[in-house]
Amino acid sequence: MSRHRILALLLALTSSLNAAGAARAEESRTLLLATTTSVQDTGLLESLLPTFTEATGIEVQVVAVGTGAALRMGAEGNADALLTHAPDSEKALLQSGAVDRRVEIMQNYFVLAGAASDPVGVRAAGSAIEGIKKIQAAKAPFVSRADDSGTHKREVELFREAGLDPDERWPAYTRTGAGMGLSLQVAGQKQAYILSDIGSFLAFKKETGLEAMTGQDPSLRNVYSVLRVSPAKHPRVHAAEADEFIAYLERPDTQMRIGQFGLQRFGQRLFDPLGGSGE
Amino acid sequence: MHELHSSDLLEITLRTLSVCLTALLIALAIGVPIGIALGRRQFPGRRALLGVINSGMGAPPIVVGLIVAQMFFRNGLLGRLELWYSVEAMVTAQVLIALPLIVALVIAAVSALDVDWELQVRTLGISARWRTWLLLREIRLGLLAAVIAALGGILSEVGAVMQTGGNLEGETRVLTTAILMYTNMGLFESAYALAAILVGLMLTLAGLLTWVQYGARS
Repeated sequence: MSRHRILALLLALTSSLNAAGAARAEESRTLLLATTTSVQDTGLLESLLPTFTEATGIEVQVVAVGTGAALRMGAEGNADALLTHAPDSEKALLQSGAVDRRVEIMQNYFVLAGAASDPVGVRAAGSAIEGIKKIQAAKAPFVSRADDSGTHKREVELFREAGLDPDERWPAYTRTGAGMGLSLQVAGQKQAYILSDIGSFLAFKKETGLEAMTGQDPSLRNVYSVLRVSPAKHPRVHAAEADEFIAYLERPDTQMRIGQFGLQRFGQRLFDPLGGSGE
Repeated sequence: MHELHSSDLLEITLRTLSVCLTALLIALAIGVPIGIALGRRQFPGRRALLGVINSGMGAPPIVVGLIVAQMFFRNGLLGRLELWYSVEAMVTAQVLIALPLIVALVIAAVSALDVDWELQVRTLGISARWRTWLLLREIRLGLLAAVIAALGGILSEVGAVMQTGGNLEGETRVLTTAILMYTNMGLFESAYALAAILVGLMLTLAGLLTWVQYGARS
């Protein structure tokens, strides 16, 4: 084959690929959703998204990262919508103008978990804040995710609310910088206390042997919101698709399904629907 | 808020080097004699054994990591050692990842020797220790290839190291797991700083070994 013919063939190939790409952009609509691993790991999205795609024709690409990274993707316009659980950081993002809608979708409670023997008596402490104080005072084994995730942000807040320095270390205090699953396993091996989201805690309960030390403690409330990345700030984002996604999450039947999610696998619900409120 | 400090950088880099070099030395100490023995001797079942080793070359590190991590768990086979999420567990996984590579490449190098080579050396009438030394000299190119392959594999390993070490700060955090962590945190500047070091290490080591290899050829 002569060089010219190869060139012509390549040209034909690339132009047809371009045409196909353009056609795809016109026909199919997509939504890039950045969310946290703790949401992804529960399987909630797998349960909700097929119905959404069926109803709207919008394909959702889910990127599961830490809350820090998800919020940053939103700030830089690298995602169309976010589903996160760090209210303070979310509100800051809203103020910065990088996102222009924030709707509270659901909530649950973090769990302060520990070995069944509960060596420092966190169960009896009465609240998560008192529990943290006891752990810190006894310099008991404690595993921190230390990864700037939503869960870790809450842990830092909890230390602050208890009047403690979140940066204080002690020999049995371990920082994993890893996801919830691995951190729970580390805590299980070290028989340490750890703050976890409820979904991950239940999923790893059997393997880690850890037990919940807390219940529906107000200071452990964990609110999940969906955020729309602002098309005014980032013109290329798919804002219309994000709106449809938010509307879908707010629908009563979706809210009902969120409220029932987890019953099958864990025998208990993972989320309380919030009906959609917020800015 | 958890940005990388230069002291962390140094600590993580030194730990990465010490873990990988320890694993490499152990894997060489075990793998080279096995490779030489298998490469020189004919015995029934040799072909099947070589097949197993070659398939070990393709053993997914994530599977090695899974098994080794479980072994070191509290209730695992080696739980009594109390080495869960430790440097020792990481080294164990890396040795198992590097070992098949080294054995297979040493076998290849030994098998490539002339058939007469062994006879010639025998006629010299020197001790077994000297014969081994001559053999190692003769297969030095293959040995270097084995070292480069093994080091490249374990230095860039993420999954197995995460499973066995857990990325614990000040204990088991290495370059690859730290890069993954900072990426997940959205702290890309820190991730890039660590990535630059990792790439720099790989290039330096590979360059060094290649240089030695060319020197060895002359």
